[in-house]
This record gives sequence, C-alpha cells and structure tokens, in this order.
Amino acid sequence: MTEDAGVLMERVRARNADAFEALYDAHHRLVYGVALRMLGDAPGAEDVTQAVFVKVWTSPELFRGGNFGAWIVRVTRNRALDVLRSRATRNEGELPEGLPETEGIEEAAFARIDAQLVRSALAELPGEQREPIELGFFNGITHEEIARRSGIPLGTVKTRIRSGLRKLRSVLDQAVTA
Amino acid sequence: MSDQQPYHDMLDDVALYALGTLPAADAQRVRDHMATCAECRAEYAALAPAAALVGVSAETEGDLKNCPSALLKPRIMREIRASAATSSALRTSSRAPVWPAYLVAAACFAIAIITSLYNVTLSSQLRDVQNKLAASTTRSSQLASNLADERSTISEIMSSESKHFTGSDGEVVTHGEKLYVAMHDLPLPPKGKVYQAWTLAKGAKDMAPSVTFVPDSRGVAIVSLPVDARLTNTVAVSVEPEGGSKAPTSKPVLVVPLN
Repeated sequence: MTEDAGVLMERVRARNADAFEALYDAHHRLVYGVALRMLGDAPGAEDVTQAVFVKVWTSPELFRGGNFGAWIVRVTRNRALDVLRSRATRNEGELPEGLPETEGIEEAAFARIDAQLVRSALAELPGEQREPIELGFFNGITHEEIARRSGIPLGTVKTRIRSGLRKLRSVLDQAVTA
Repeated sequence: MSDQQPYHDMLDDVALYALGTLPAADAQRVRDHMATCAECRAEYAALAPAAALVGVSAETEGDLKNCPSALLKPRIMREIRASAATSSALRTSSRAPVWPAYLVAAACFAIAIITSLYNVTLSSQLRDVQNKLAASTTRSSQLASNLADERSTISEIMSSESKHFTGSDGEVVTHGEKLYVAMHDLPLPPKGKVYQAWTLAKGAKDMAPSVTFVPDSRGVAIVSLPVDARLTNTVAVSVEPEGGSKAPTSKPVLVVPLN
C-alpha cells in the first residue's frame, strides 16, 4: 500500500487528477473514519474529509515518504482537532505533518497493517490503558481532563498511556511476524 | 516538565508526544529534550510506529452506514479537476504569445492562496481563518463565493479572448465588459498612501475615481475595476492618500489608452 501510495503521490505532485482519485478511493474510508470517530457527526466528518483531500492535492509536498496511511491520519486528526477546538476547549496536541519520517519510525511491516488488525491489537490492551489512549487521540481530551474524569493522578494517566503504547507495539510486532 | 524531572516522567511524555496528544509547548520541550537524550529518542522510535497506527483503527468498513455520502467524491473531484484544468491552462498559456511571466506567476500565487483558503490548511498562519471557517457556515459560503470570483478573474485574465493593453510596469486587460489592471514591479506606496485606479469613460472629459489598492510583497497587483470596459477609453493609476481621492493628486504611474 505504501509503495503504491508513494507512486500515486508523485503523480499527484505532477497534477494528475486520476492519481488523486485512486488515492481517494484507497484512503477515503480511513480519513472519514477518523473524522467521524473524532467529531461524532457525519456532516462534520465529510467536511473534514473534503478538506483533507483538497490539502493532499494542494500541498502534496507535505508528504515526505513513509507510511501514507499514517501521514493522512495525522492530517485528518489535526483538521478534526481544529473543528473540536472551535466547538469547545480541547487538547492542543497536534501531530506534525511536514516533518520527515525519522529512521526506524516507519517500518514497512507496520505500513501493511490494516484497520482490523489494529482494532484487534487495541482490544488486547487493558481498558485502563486503551481508554486514555483513545480518549486522548480521538476525543482530543487533555490528560488532565482524563485524570479528573477517571479520578486517578495525572502521572498515572501518562504512565498508562505509555504502557499501553508499549503493549500495542508488542502485540503488533507479534502480528506482523506471525 | 523539565529536563531535571525524574527520567520515567520524561519517558511518559515522550509516549504522549508520539501519540500526538501533548500541548504544543510541552511537545516542543520533548523535541528539545530528545535532541540530546538517546534514551528518549529510542523510546520514541519504539512507540511511534504503534502510536501512528492508533488512528488507523478508525477506518470504516464497507457498509453504507459508516461511509461518506455518494455525493462527497464527485464534490471533491470537481474541485480537483477544476484545479487541474487551471494548472493545465497556466502551462498552456506559457506557450501562448504575449503572456508576461509576472502575470502567470501572480496567477499561480493567487491560485495558491485561494486553494489554501478553501482547503482550510492547518498551518499556523491560516489557523485563524480555519477556525472562523469551522465556526461559521456563513463565512464559509462567503469564502466560497470569493473563491469563485477570484477564479473567474484569473480565468478571464488568462483567456485567449482577453485583450491586453500594455503600459509601463503593467497592463490593462479587458474581457468583454470586464476590466482589470495588472501591475508588476510596483513599489509599496509611501506610508499613508495607496495606489488608486482612474477610468476615463468614452466621451467624458474627466477621469473618474476607481478602486484603491496596494501591491503584494513582490510588487504585483491585479485588480478588477467596476466599470464596463466597452465604455471606457483610458485607465490610469496614481498614488493617492489612503481612502482615495476624488481627482488625481499626483502624476500617474500608469496611463493606458484602450484602443
């Protein structure tokens, strides 16, 4: 998927609308899904989806190789966070879109992981780890707010997120090497 | 959070940074710290691939309930193909005679700005615009309308049916009844001053005041004049006080007869 998306993005840089359409067909459910999960309403998710793909077209240089799916999720999340911020006070966390992928971060095996596998891996995490990860990522809720809601210290929330990510990494490693 | 805090706390923040849920100021501190800390860089390298996939879990399945409407793709593709056609027109126009390079560059610049606004990019420079767009559908409609107007302007200026009347540092372009002034290498006016366009209607004796404007940072200005080009004899531009003048108060920097 990554290689194909990379080739398509090269053609998008050359203003090839057919290549863009192929990218849309391959990734619109991912973009829409992230937006829908974060915003909770279909019209808002469609607006974000449109904004994201128009950005892919107008600023293809922001994608600097690596896992296209992970990159477009970052773009989508940042756009959806802006919408959430306009609705209420939300987490200011933002994922950098234009930074080059660092060594070891974008592994080819991980680029082939599909949504179902990630969902299964997340389901293996204890709820106390999975919930703060998903609340922070999809709901844009601050760690302080997560701590307040769950009645646990802020430091514990952070540690659980880190532990959850380590376990997620471990589960995914096992999945791709199985 | 600081570099002096216990190490496990910093590693926790590295995890939050990988997940993208740290506030901007804390994220910068983590980046700064990782630049000098191999252990935290290693932690980031270990967690980032998994963190990057958390979002992938939200990809919708093929059922209609969780997919965008069938109208979304045509809506987006119309936007993209229109943009591609404009790009193609720009490339074609570069092969056509009499297209000044500055005007093509200005058109590209304008298209970039327009599409950026429509796209509602996430760049910090446009964040304010973005928030306003998200908060106000009325504002969005207005921007969309402006977008259409700007594209119309560019399309008409670049049309092979347009007529170009060249003057010093610029030209006047007519397209049917539409009238545009396109200037380049225009210095910024002195403080408290602006450029003002003037039009002389056929049969008239005096110049009529038109729009005021300032060039962009590259000295380029493209403005639409709200008069009928078919009824206009001459277009001029002069430097005037902010707010404009009723009659020219300085020597024109551009005078272009339309004949």
